[in-house]
Amino acid sequence: MFTERFLRHRRGVYLDGEERARLEAAITEIKTLPARQNVSVAGEELNHSILLIEGFMSRYLDDRNGLRQLVAIHVPGDFVDLHAFPLKVLDHDVATMTAATVAVVPHSELEDIASSLPKLTRKLWFSTLIDAAIHRAWLFRLGRLDAVGRVAHFISETNVRLMSAGLSDGKRFALGLIQPDLAEICGLTNVHINRVLRQLREERLCVFRSSLVDVLDPEKLAARGQFNPDYLYIDSESN
Amino acid sequence: MTNFPSATQTQTKPGVANAEGGLVVLDGPDGVAVTMTPDAAKKTGTSLITAAELAKEQIVARDPEADV
Repeated sequence: MFTERFLRHRRGVYLDGEERARLEAAITEIKTLPARQNVSVAGEELNHSILLIEGFMSRYLDDRNGLRQLVAIHVPGDFVDLHAFPLKVLDHDVATMTAATVAVVPHSELEDIASSLPKLTRKLWFSTLIDAAIHRAWLFRLGRLDAVGRVAHFISETNVRLMSAGLSDGKRFALGLIQPDLAEICGLTNVHINRVLRQLREERLCVFRSSLVDVLDPEKLAARGQFNPDYLYIDSESN
Repeated sequence: MTNFPSATQTQTKPGVANAEGGLVVLDGPDGVAVTMTPDAAKKTGTSLITAAELAKEQIVARDPEADV
């Protein structure tokens, strides 16, 4: 089943059997993609959306000098560009960070779901609202937190998202990102990220090694990053 | 509408600079996180000191009794 991680453990939006079957039936293609490949670019007209099954993806913007700022990271179970269904043209690029497997859902299928299954439509809408909530958290992170806080917040957030997807036990997870990626996510230089990761390791909060993250003290790490997971709408009984 | 204090406040605590891999890393105050070359850091430091002296003069000009 390709949709098993979609909205997994999200508060009050469980897909029932019929809804899940309809979503599975909406998938017309499964694609495996190499790491670091653009999936869609800003301004391109889209007639499908993609559900991430395995791997990590990103949304990003380039500045006038071609320097990248990552504005979102997607984990398995995310409907990466569902917002392209109503928008048709995105304002940012979408790319794989690691090798990834995605399910392609044509917008014609989503149109049919929207006109025939209002409850499932509402759940799809819910997933885009979680994306918006994550964006707000990322704004807060960049605007209010110092360097250590930004990284602590991102790692705490990713840990919770991956726990929800069944890909973290709360203490360890494979991230598939490298230090320069963390730098772009947190608005820091590589040398600054290196220093921050060392500090987090020395404070026994977390260890980032070869894309494997050990969260040594989730509560203290969350406190350091002023991270409160409420905006992720995780069912508290699931983790 | 409730008035909340703005998160963007004038800083009263200094940032902390460290040398790291031949560069200067400035952490804080607040959400500031910048990496500079040694030359850029020196010029920034000089500019900050000059501006700080001018700001003190402005305070005294407004209030000659001010403790700066």
